[in-house]
Amino acid sequence: MSAEVELVGAFADEERLVHCIGQLKAAQTRFRVFSPIPSHHINSAIYTRSSFVRWFVLLGGITGIVTAFMLTIGTSLEWNLVTGGKPIASIAPYCIIGFELMVLFGGISALTSWILLANLPTFEPLSGYRPRFSSDEFGLVVRCAEADAERFESVLRDAGAQEISREAA
Amino acid sequence: MAAAVKDINLDPTFADIDRSVRAIMEPPGLRYWLWIGFLLALTLTGGALWTNQIYNGLQVTGLGDPVMWAVYITNFVFWVGIAHSGTLISAILYLFRTRWRTAVYRAAETMTIFAVATAGLFPVIHLGRPWFFYWLAPYPNQRFLQPDFRSPLTWDFFAISTYLTISSLFWFTGLIPDVANVREIATGWRKKFYTIVALGWQGSDRQWRHFSMAYLLLAGLATPLVLSVHSVVSWDFAMGQLPGWHSTIFAPYFVAGAIFSGVAMVLTLLIPMRWVMGLEDLITPWHLDNLAKVILLTSLVVSYSYIVESFMAWYSQDPIELMTFHMRYFGPWGWMFWVMVACNCVIPLLLFSPRIRTSTVPLFIITIFVNIGMWFERFVIIAGSLATNFEPSQWRFWHPSITEMGITVGAFAWFLMLFSLFARFMPIISMTELKEGITWLKQALRQGYAKAA
Repeated sequence: MSAEVELVGAFADEERLVHCIGQLKAAQTRFRVFSPIPSHHINSAIYTRSSFVRWFVLLGGITGIVTAFMLTIGTSLEWNLVTGGKPIASIAPYCIIGFELMVLFGGISALTSWILLANLPTFEPLSGYRPRFSSDEFGLVVRCAEADAERFESVLRDAGAQEISREAA
Repeated sequence: MAAAVKDINLDPTFADIDRSVRAIMEPPGLRYWLWIGFLLALTLTGGALWTNQIYNGLQVTGLGDPVMWAVYITNFVFWVGIAHSGTLISAILYLFRTRWRTAVYRAAETMTIFAVATAGLFPVIHLGRPWFFYWLAPYPNQRFLQPDFRSPLTWDFFAISTYLTISSLFWFTGLIPDVANVREIATGWRKKFYTIVALGWQGSDRQWRHFSMAYLLLAGLATPLVLSVHSVVSWDFAMGQLPGWHSTIFAPYFVAGAIFSGVAMVLTLLIPMRWVMGLEDLITPWHLDNLAKVILLTSLVVSYSYIVESFMAWYSQDPIELMTFHMRYFGPWGWMFWVMVACNCVIPLLLFSPRIRTSTVPLFIITIFVNIGMWFERFVIIAGSLATNFEPSQWRFWHPSITEMGITVGAFAWFLMLFSLFARFMPIISMTELKEGITWLKQALRQGYAKAA
């Protein structure tokens, strides 16, 4: 089996990059994209399914609602003082706390889940990363067998990569 | 303006946007540190007055029965209101894909965080024994305190703490790609600091995939939260039986007022910042025009609310309600009501003029008037209603004390100091979102400077 290499292509243009991603997917090779902006086009060119973050947020929101009603009803039953002639467990006002804790737990779940799913925090640079990919250029890192490197270099070049470099994987 | 237009690049690239924002973050000069020193001195003066209040008790304030809520609670409601526009601009306008938000939302969001941080001080400052501040937290306890979850004050605790947390998470999430950007050119301690804050972000497809979903969902969660928080704050008053407070209109009325005052504060901060930091190529007259239109719209809503509130008092024909409103207009504090009407209802009508909406000096002056008017609105509702409650024999008008005024000034200084520090050391304008909508920025530049060019 021949050694693997990584080809790093720098693109100035999002459209050309998306076109190149389509070709790489057709060739069933492994690649990674770096982008200075969030791009719906890049995301939908690579992934067919939405992020799992939404399920964590749903779970967090439900946990918040359940927590709120447990806290309010449980505490009221423990301190069963009638105030203002209202029921000990007054569901209507507790819905406000239910809403607030749903948002709170859902938001905390959103932050923690996206950070964990994105493999953050990490203080080691991903292979092929260049500082300019956080600024004004798009990066496409293709991992392939050394024997296929020339073929993928020409795919990158034809797609409009401004600069291509080869690194050991 | 025409002189400035010559220097403005109407066709910026990603690199130009980075250059403009990174230039703001260059090490500041002596004038900046003098400004920070001035604000720090005022903040410490406020802190010293609070220390004195803790030592001597609330007798050093003008508070007394029946006006037990006055300047401190007014400040609390004012700053919570100020905080609203940040999340409105960052979350609600994000969901609606509003084009002009990209240049201004980070400043508005930052203002939100620091405004909530300022607001959160006041319930504690208002306490006679602030070291027991944690008694405010409603949870089952062994201190013979009943946490009453039917009380609007308890709802407020949940609402404000949720709002601060969610706004901070939303703000922090949006900051990460921009901090990673400046990390790449930073040196020394700044590089270490930005590396930690950016969590090692590199903008890979996997990172963006989860980031984008989380950002969208946080915006979705924050949107109803914006409306709920000031509704809950309004219920602190509306759930009471006091004439002048007990009104069903309070929730929408407070939300509109919060957006009105918050957007005005955004412009109060943005206009000098744009001038001092030379941000004319990123924040254009088109952005100012759109923010001014929001102020105009919410001013009309607030004016309508004042009319409806007065109408309902008249329509009820309740003598106590009628007397409260009579005292509000013509009593010893009547001048405050008329200042409020002038600042919130009359002066903003000038914004019907497109020329004023895009002229920085008149716009800045109008926003100052709105800030003053909204502070008085809070005071008139809170302290004014308490001063003239059910029993005329109990009527008493509060007089300001040096302590309350000093702490209020200190709070403004504290807020401005935090904002000024952030604006110099962190990306106060979102490079990522400006680049994402670069065609909109170019359109904004062409529209904003078309007349001057």
